[in-house]
Amino acid sequence: MTAEMLAFAGVAVVLLASSLGVVLTPNLFHAVLYLAAALVATGVVFLLLDAPFLFAVQLLLYAGGVVTIVVFAIMLTERLVGASIKQASRYLINGALVSAAVFVGVVGFLVQMPPVGPRPPWPDDLTVMVGRALVGAFAIPFELLGVLLVIVLVGALYLARSES
Amino acid sequence: MPLGAYLALAALVFAIGLFGVLTRRNAVGILLGIELMLNAVNINLVAFGRFHADLAGVMFTLFTIAITVAEVAVGLAIVIVIFRVRRTVDADHLDLLRG
Amino acid sequence: MTPRVGSATLALLVLGLPFASFLLLAVVRPLRRSAPAAAAVSIAAIAGSLVTALLTMSGAAPLAAQQSPSTTWSWIPADGGPMATVGVMVDDLAMTMLLLVTLVSFLVQVYSWAYLHDEPRTSLGRYYAYHSLFAFSMLGLVLAPTFLQMFIFWELVGLCSYLLIGYWYERPSAARAAVKAFWITKLGDLGLVAGIVMLWSATGTFDFWTLFQMASLGSLPVEALPLIMFLIYLGAVGKSAQFPLHVWLPDAMEGPTPVSALIHAATMVTAGVFLVTRAFPLFRLTPDLLTLIAWVGAFTALLAASMACVEIDIKRVLAYSTVSQLGYMMAAAGAAAPEAGFLHLIAHGVFKALLFLGAGVVIHVFHTNDLFRMGGVRGSPWIWLPFVVGTLALSGVWPLPGFFTKEAILAGVLDARLLVPFAMLSVAAFLTAFYMFRVVCLAFFARPHHAGHAHPRVPGLMNGVCWVLGALTLAMGLQQAFFSGHHEISGPGWLPGFSLALAGGGILLAWAMYQRRAIDPARVARALGPIEWMARRRYGLDGLFAGLYRGVLLAFARLIGWLDRYLVDGVVNVLSAWTLRAGDRVRRLQTGQPQDYVYGVALGTLLLFVLAQWGLR
Repeated sequence: MTAEMLAFAGVAVVLLASSLGVVLTPNLFHAVLYLAAALVATGVVFLLLDAPFLFAVQLLLYAGGVVTIVVFAIMLTERLVGASIKQASRYLINGALVSAAVFVGVVGFLVQMPPVGPRPPWPDDLTVMVGRALVGAFAIPFELLGVLLVIVLVGALYLARSES
Repeated sequence: MPLGAYLALAALVFAIGLFGVLTRRNAVGILLGIELMLNAVNINLVAFGRFHADLAGVMFTLFTIAITVAEVAVGLAIVIVIFRVRRTVDADHLDLLRG
Repeated sequence: MTPRVGSATLALLVLGLPFASFLLLAVVRPLRRSAPAAAAVSIAAIAGSLVTALLTMSGAAPLAAQQSPSTTWSWIPADGGPMATVGVMVDDLAMTMLLLVTLVSFLVQVYSWAYLHDEPRTSLGRYYAYHSLFAFSMLGLVLAPTFLQMFIFWELVGLCSYLLIGYWYERPSAARAAVKAFWITKLGDLGLVAGIVMLWSATGTFDFWTLFQMASLGSLPVEALPLIMFLIYLGAVGKSAQFPLHVWLPDAMEGPTPVSALIHAATMVTAGVFLVTRAFPLFRLTPDLLTLIAWVGAFTALLAASMACVEIDIKRVLAYSTVSQLGYMMAAAGAAAPEAGFLHLIAHGVFKALLFLGAGVVIHVFHTNDLFRMGGVRGSPWIWLPFVVGTLALSGVWPLPGFFTKEAILAGVLDARLLVPFAMLSVAAFLTAFYMFRVVCLAFFARPHHAGHAHPRVPGLMNGVCWVLGALTLAMGLQQAFFSGHHEISGPGWLPGFSLALAGGGILLAWAMYQRRAIDPARVARALGPIEWMARRRYGLDGLFAGLYRGVLLAFARLIGWLDRYLVDGVVNVLSAWTLRAGDRVRRLQTGQPQDYVYGVALGTLLLFVLAQWGLR
C-alpha cells in the first residue's frame, strides 16, 4: 500500500460519496453542496494525475463559478425543498437499471484493455507546456473558445433579460 | 495506480450522474447530474493523457471545462425563462414537445 | 382483260388533296367559319381528286405477270425487313373505286351546298371538313396495299361516319344513332383486327401482293385459314350491314340526306364488299366460308327487302334497300363471282346515290320524310324523272345497269349450285321492284293530301346533280347493253327473262296496290299477318342488341366497378389505414419529457456497446 494508493482510495471514496449525495438527496441546495465536494475531489484526482494546473482550473471554474451559478439559479426558481425522495424522483428502479447497465458496458470494455505500462514522465513542466500549446498548436481552438464564450454571454443575457 | 483504476472510477461517477439525470424531477437537479457526467469524462481524458504522455488529453480537458461552464450558464438561463413562463421547473410538466 | 397499274404519284395526289383540304379547314379557323370559303376549298379539292383519278385511269399501264401493283415505303422497322409498310396499290380494282368515290363525293358536296343552305354558317364549315376527311379516309382504304393500312383507314372511315351521322349533335336521336353505328361496326372490327393479327402471325406479312403470291403458289399455311378469313369477314359484316349487324344502317338516316347518299349508299358501306373482293384470292381458299357468306348475303337481302316493304319513312326504305343490295353483293362474292358483285357495287353506288339525292329533293319540297304525306307532283317531270330512272335501275329493268349486274349475280349463284340462296335472292328481287315502285307511287304520283304543291320549287343545284346522276346511270346501262360484248358470267338462257319477270311483277303489284288502288294494301298486310307484324318491328333485332348490351356489357362493367371499389381501392385504403394507425401508436413514444429522451439515448448507447462487443469477437 503505497502513499499514492492510499491517496487514491481516499479521494475515490470522497468522490463517490459526494456523487451519490448529489443524486439522492431531496434537498436541492444540499445537492449543490455535495456537487461542490465532488468537484473538489475531482480536482484532487487531477493532482494525483500530475496535472496541478488542471487542479487549479477545476477549483476556480467549477467549484467556484459553476456552483455559484447553480446556487443563484436555485434561489431564483424558489424550489429549495422538494418532497421526500420517492416523490422527488421518478422511476428509480428504471434509472438504476439503465445506469448499472451502462456501467457494466463500459467496464466490459475496460477489462478487455491491454495492460498499460507505468507513467512516462512529462517532458517539461505541464503548465509551461499548456501555455505553449494554447498559443501554438491549440491557438485556433483557443480563439474559438473565446468567441463561444462571447456568444454564450450574449445569449444568456438575452434569455434571462427582464420582461419589460 | 494503474490506468484501469482511474477509468473505473470515472465510469462509476458517470453512471451515478446518469442515474441523477434519469431520476431527478427538478430541472436544476438534472443539470447537476449532467455536471457529474462531464466531470467523469474529464477524469478519463486526463488519465489517458497522463498514461500516454499526450498533451492532447490535458488540453481537451481544459477546453471541456470552459465549454461546460458556458453550457451551464446558458442552461440555467433557459431554466429561469421556463420558470418565468410556466411557473414550474418540474420536469414532468415540461412536455411541450409531446407528439 | 390484262390487269393494269396506275401511277403511284397520281394516286398519292388523289389521296393528298382531300387531306390537305381537311387540314386547312381543321386548322384555319376563319376559313372554317366562313361557309362559302370552306365549301369552296373542299369542293375544289375533291374536284381535283376526281380529275386526277380520271388521269390515273386513262394513264394506266399494263401490268407484267409477276409485277406488284403496289408502291410501298417501310414504316415500322424490324429485323429482316420492315414489319409494316405504307403505300398505294393502284390496280384496276382500286382505280375503279377511286373514280366512284371521288365522283360521288364531288356530286354530294355540291348538292350539300344547296340542301344545307339553311344551316348556320359556322357549322357548315365543320360539315365540309368532315366530308374532306371522309374522302381522304375512303380513298386511303381503297388504295391500301396492306391489311394494316386498310384497317387504319377502315377505322378512320368509321370515325367519319360517326361524325357525319351525328352532325346535328343537339338532336338526341342523332347522337344515339351515331353511337349505335360506331358500336355495331366496332363489333365487326374486333373480328377484323383479330383476323389481321392472326394472319400476320401465321405468315409474317400484312402485304396483299405477297399474300396473294403465297396463295397462288399454295404456300399459305392453311391450318387456321378458315378461322382467320371468318374473322376478317366479320369486319365486312359490320361495315356492310350484313345480318345480324345491319341494325345500325336504318338508324344512320338521322344524318343529313347527302351524307346518307355518300356514306350509306355509295362508299362507306361498300368497304366491306371491297374488302372481300380485294382479299378474294385468300377467300377463294376457304370454300365453306364462301358458302356461308353467300347464305348470309342472300338472307340479308331478303330480310331487308321485307322490312322495306312496310316502312313509312322514305329514307328508311332506301336504307333497307341498301342493306338488301349489299346482301346481293356479298352473295355474289360468296358464290365465287366477285367480279359480278363488284360491278353491282359500282352501279349501285351511282344509282343509290341518285335515289338518295332524289329523295332529298322530295323531302325538301314536302318538308317531311313521311311517304303518306307526299304526292301530287306528276305534272313536274323534272323532279321525278331522275328518281324513276334510278328506281328502274335498282329494280333491274333493261337497259339500265341493275339488270345486267343482278343477272350476273343470279347467274353466279346458280352456277355455284346455291339453290336456296338463289331462291331468296329471287324473292328479294321481286320485293325490291315492289317496294321501290311503292315509293315512287306514294311520293310522286299519288293524289295529294293537300293542295299547294302544284308547282314545287326545287333549287337548281340539287336537281342538276340528280339529272347528272340519272344520265350517268343511263349511260352505264347503255354501255353494258351495247358496247361490252363480253359477259364474264352468263347463266342459263332463261335467266334474263326470269329476272325481268320478277322486276315486272313487282312493279305491277306496286302500281296495282298504290296507284290504282285495285288491291287494298291493308288486306294484303292482314293476309301476310305475322310476317308483316314482325317486319314492322324489325324482327326484334334492335331490342335484342339493346338487351344484350344492358345485360352483358353493363353487368360486366358493374362487376368491374365493384372489383375496383372494393378490391383495388380496398387494398389501398386498408394499407393507408394501417399506416395511419401505426403512426398513431408510434407517436406515443414522443412524450415530450426530456428524461424519456435521455432514456432513449442511454438505451441506444447500450445497443452500441453490445454491437461493439460483438464486433470485437
